[in-house]
Amino acid sequence: MTSTALDTPPPAPTARRIGTAALGRALRRIGFLPALLTVLILLLVLFEPRFVGMFNIFNVLRNSCALMIVAAGQMLVLVVGGFDLSVGAVIALTSVVTAKVMAVMLEASPDQVPMAIAAGIAAGMACGFVTGLINGACVAFLRISPFMVTLGTSSIATGVALLLTNGIPIYGMPEVFVKDFGRAIWFGLPMPVYVSLAVLLLVWVMQKQTTVGRYIHAIGGNVQAAMVSGVNTNFYLILAYTLCGMLASLTSLLLTARLGSGQATMSGNLMLESIAAAVIAGVSLRGGVGRVEMVALSALFLSILTNAMNLLKINSKIQTIFMGIIVVAAVALDELAKRRNQDARER
Amino acid sequence: MSETTPRKTGVGPGRAVANFMARYGLIIALVVMEAGFALIEPLVLSPGNLLNVVQQTSYIAVFATAQMVVILTRGFDLSLGTCVSTVSVAAALVMTGMVAHGQGDMWLVIAMGGLTALGIGLAVGLFNGICISVLRVNAFVTTLGSLNICFGIATTISDGRPVFDVPKEFSTLLYSGTLLGVPAPVVIAIVVLAGIHLMLTWTVFGRSLYLIGGNPRAAALAGLPSRRYLTTAYVVCSVLAAIGALMLTARTGSGEPNLGGNVTLQSIAAAVIGGVSLRGGVGGTYSALLGALFVTALSNCMGLARIDGYIQQIVLGCVIIGAIFVDRLRTGVR
Repeated sequence: MTSTALDTPPPAPTARRIGTAALGRALRRIGFLPALLTVLILLLVLFEPRFVGMFNIFNVLRNSCALMIVAAGQMLVLVVGGFDLSVGAVIALTSVVTAKVMAVMLEASPDQVPMAIAAGIAAGMACGFVTGLINGACVAFLRISPFMVTLGTSSIATGVALLLTNGIPIYGMPEVFVKDFGRAIWFGLPMPVYVSLAVLLLVWVMQKQTTVGRYIHAIGGNVQAAMVSGVNTNFYLILAYTLCGMLASLTSLLLTARLGSGQATMSGNLMLESIAAAVIAGVSLRGGVGRVEMVALSALFLSILTNAMNLLKINSKIQTIFMGIIVVAAVALDELAKRRNQDARER
Repeated sequence: MSETTPRKTGVGPGRAVANFMARYGLIIALVVMEAGFALIEPLVLSPGNLLNVVQQTSYIAVFATAQMVVILTRGFDLSLGTCVSTVSVAAALVMTGMVAHGQGDMWLVIAMGGLTALGIGLAVGLFNGICISVLRVNAFVTTLGSLNICFGIATTISDGRPVFDVPKEFSTLLYSGTLLGVPAPVVIAIVVLAGIHLMLTWTVFGRSLYLIGGNPRAAALAGLPSRRYLTTAYVVCSVLAAIGALMLTARTGSGEPNLGGNVTLQSIAAAVIGGVSLRGGVGGTYSALLGALFVTALSNCMGLARIDGYIQQIVLGCVIIGAIFVDRLRTGVR
């Protein structure tokens, strides 16, 4: 800056600046993510006729529903300031245990199909419940870093799943479970859509309308303050991890029912994707912040993006490069926006 | 819980025992484990096997040290494993490519392979470091992103297939060769660990890492160039990963796109078991080495005792949780 610049009054905001400011405000009101999602869908509808095909849309819906449920669970744990690396392992374990229990029950008494299904589902959900309980208890009582606890339980759960199957898929689940549940179409939409909508609604109601949701957010925002205010922090920490584990199990049940077999390698990338979805949705890794409706949108966004790249025949290996860049960029933008807001407030 | 939360300042006998166990517990556990497995399978303590353990430790020790440098700053590097894969494939491609184009000077070929590796390590480290320190993206998210990016690059440039025909001289230099009777990997690991140890204990940069991890606010107030140091820490981590990747590539004799599969988790587990605190600011080369030795010895013992690989995985998970619990006790003591 030259010395003459000191004498001149500060420059009046130019038209361009006002324009970007208005755009920024509008974006902030709608949110960045919905806008991005709309643009993506519009582009696809306009330029990629295969996207709107019935089969493709069902496919996207099925994938995004699985991701939505896991990501909603992941969000709950992130909100209490934690992490759950074990969701992938829980999905694998649930799949194996459910299939095994159903197959064994069915073999023992072939006419008791409903019993076998009920037992399988119960056993599967128990996997998520127990893993979540262990995670939560270690974090709450032993004060172990959630990263390491869930890394440990993830290793354990994967080990148990592989031990049970020896790496071979488990077949022999009741036909009804696969055909009339896993691959069912209800009122014109795949069954998982309804399940995930119900889950999202329940989590939303819990977050917004109940004290449980309030407490979970309070713990993530400031554990000390929550504790001093008389919140049973340990209980709600464990609750968050347990819910996350059970939602992972639920996802696994949906996937297992669709596949028709129990597989120890089923989770794929769901663990990383669930964290990516939550983070892109603006869930803070420092805890206390997270909205389930945004997480759902973000899961939908990621699934559609993957689908678009598949339709454009982009190599799956290059897709992972894109995913990596998108996740980092999303958080970097979020961080920049936050800092700019802070600067504006300080000024 | 009631035993860990209140900070006891007294020096009762219970505290003294806890203190002693926290300091020497891992060594005792290591000795007990070796002795116990030796009862089942005497081969465990045979000189050949012990040498084998030492040799295998040298790889994990390099990776654990790399991880330790960033854990000291309260971060971690999830991209370490896929960075290893990328380096392995790229270095192998460069070396085989040069040989295929008639380059006869093996030293030049190996030097170029090494430079490629270090270049990739530098690039990955800079990416991680800049995203974390300048853009202030969380370390988990950043390295998760670079994990995906590196995986994509490794599998794309190699087409998902191993790159064979890495020059024999390369494997001799970094794997089967010896210096004064000491196997090459052990020599490299000693040099690397000694270098990092000196860096952490004798340089301003090294000492600053402890402060940045232990108390970032104090570090900023003290006027430390935290951004530059943080970035450098991630660069050091990735460059060490690249060195480790060269060692592994020399061992397998081919560039492998999934070479780093378990390396990330192993390195974090080894560092943490050795006593590097995830809350930052606590640990050293000694911890990384001890942790690496423990993890290697554990899997070696279980392997010799013919314990199922899946059960080994379960045991490792339990050991990780146990180690963190001990870490809790240790910080409670201090």
